[in-house]
Amino acid sequence: MTYFRVNENCNGCLACVENCPASALSFADRDGRRTLKHNMTKCARCGQCWRVCPQKAIEFQHLLVGHWDDVVTMDLIHCQVCGEPLYSTAYRQKVESQLNSTVETLCPQHRQRQAASKLPLLRPGRIQSKLGDT
Amino acid sequence: MIVGDLKPLAEIVSAIKEYKQVLVLGCGSCVTVCLSGGEKEAEQLSRELSQIRHYQGTPPKFEMGCILRQCEQDLVLEYQDIPAGTDAILSLACGAGVQTVADAFDPLPVIPALNTTFLGASAKPGIWAEVCRGCGDCVLTFTGGICPVARCAKSLFNGPCGGSHNGSCEVGLDTPCAWAMIFFRLKRQNKLHLLDEIRAPKDWRPGGAAGPRKRVRVGLGDGTKYGNKRT
Repeated sequence: MTYFRVNENCNGCLACVENCPASALSFADRDGRRTLKHNMTKCARCGQCWRVCPQKAIEFQHLLVGHWDDVVTMDLIHCQVCGEPLYSTAYRQKVESQLNSTVETLCPQHRQRQAASKLPLLRPGRIQSKLGDT
Repeated sequence: MIVGDLKPLAEIVSAIKEYKQVLVLGCGSCVTVCLSGGEKEAEQLSRELSQIRHYQGTPPKFEMGCILRQCEQDLVLEYQDIPAGTDAILSLACGAGVQTVADAFDPLPVIPALNTTFLGASAKPGIWAEVCRGCGDCVLTFTGGICPVARCAKSLFNGPCGGSHNGSCEVGLDTPCAWAMIFFRLKRQNKLHLLDEIRAPKDWRPGGAAGPRKRVRVGLGDGTKYGNKRT
């Protein structure tokens, strides 16, 4: 759906095309029909088209409050302990193939805890005995 | 772009405390990009100002809005709704936006939430620096694309003052000397001869010294009648 919309008052006069400072409007005439074209990446949303349109046909509100476009949808990997979303499954596969091993799916917090649990425990008694030896 | 900074909260509170319902209005252009007055900032400010601890009496009720550009009166009038019961607008636009909204909704009081600071450019994320003062008579052709009006603390036109030291300005070591930059840029461009010419004292009238400036574009709206001239 285009952001630049005109109502039924548009008579194809091309005032908007001729006055667009960003060259974001164009048209194509084919088989006796005229198509008005808009390029959102060029559009500065300056409102010049809306100002100059003699028919008051441009519904500029669609360029002010637009809709959301879905960009991409992906499957996610979650932390195996708390379930926090981490990254996409495709990313995991990529990392695993680069490392040639399986990646543990843990969030930074649980990764830190797991790493800490693997450290050897320092028992006060042992330290005391070692100090006594010296 | 136009850069602005949020005013101290106490100043904003003091300006709005007498009202009952305030529309906090963000602007979707320059101040959105410099992260000081866009939709996000309007929302944050609205939330913060709703805290009862800022007031001795009852706090105003806050509504929030944001429009693409507050500095275009016809756009604001057509597309910005003012909620019923609003007795003041707190605008997060630059000074141009605040005044346009004040004209559009006269006599509704419009209070600025930002201090408009300068015309800046962003060289690094999160940092904006003043590079242009809109003096109306650009000299960048002769200065290697570095503006002595905006970037020299004294706006000198014929080389550095005695305060230039190892490439820094005497106002602070973190402020580069514009004329040192100009010299080395022109040297790299092999255009040091441009410095041989003495620049006459600048005419500041195009820079605003002759009163508020106006630009009328030929062939558009009122420009069809008056032609392109400064009035």
